[in-house]
Amino acid sequence: MLHIKLTSVMVEDQAKALAFYTDVLGFVTKMDFPVGEYRWITVATANRDDLQLALEPNANPAGKAFQQAMFAQGVPIASFETDDLDAEYERLGKAGVAFTKPPTNMGPVKIALFSDTVGNLIQIHQPT
Amino acid sequence: MAMLIDPVTFRRVAAIRARLLAGDDASIVELAGRMSPSRMIRVFAAMFGVTPHQLRTQVKIDRARAHLARGMGVTTVCMEVGFSSVGSFSALFTRWTGMSPSHYRRSVSVPARIVDPSIVPGCLGMLAALPSNFREARSPARAP
Repeated sequence: MLHIKLTSVMVEDQAKALAFYTDVLGFVTKMDFPVGEYRWITVATANRDDLQLALEPNANPAGKAFQQAMFAQGVPIASFETDDLDAEYERLGKAGVAFTKPPTNMGPVKIALFSDTVGNLIQIHQPT
Repeated sequence: MAMLIDPVTFRRVAAIRARLLAGDDASIVELAGRMSPSRMIRVFAAMFGVTPHQLRTQVKIDRARAHLARGMGVTTVCMEVGFSSVGSFSALFTRWTGMSPSHYRRSVSVPARIVDPSIVPGCLGMLAALPSNFREARSPARAP
């Protein structure tokens, strides 16, 4: 049986990304290995080991073009779930995170969008 | 209170970032266009974690790193990314990366186990370069 263990987001600067995804968003570092001029970095939700998020360098030109196009169109590259979106909006806002969409009811979910400072828009959602 | 960026400002600042990533040498005032430069810089920094000037420098350093990783000589890289002085290029590179260009050039190499080097950057194929016990290893190892 296949199980979902790993997914990824491309980032412009892996060190800056790791700092943002851990210090600001609150994920924990699971792996951090040097790979040539880059690093293999994964983060995960604290105290949960079901899914890891790789912070991939966007040095591949095709990946970079995709990332920049998605960002320019305002399209989020990933969505993280929370059980209290308003509290996360407040917490992340105090940490200096720039939002492009405030908490907004969208039918079955409430969502908000922010910039992860390394080239992506990230959505957070709360089932309503 | 979170910084909330309206759609028009978002599009303008995203376009400025795209220009900088493409190597545009326009001044900050020119880049800002209809926005005030100070507001543009403030929004830009909140969205991307760096000022426009820092991103411009970062783009040059990233290009230099890529050239050096492929074995290009330091003087050639210096000219290629737009510096006229090897001394100022080396000083800036060292300040940003923590090591001199020549040291960086020697320290990086594409892992031999990855068959196709072209897929190394930005690819889950990087998994193939991890140590065999990567799932148990817990001590973060910092790359240069």
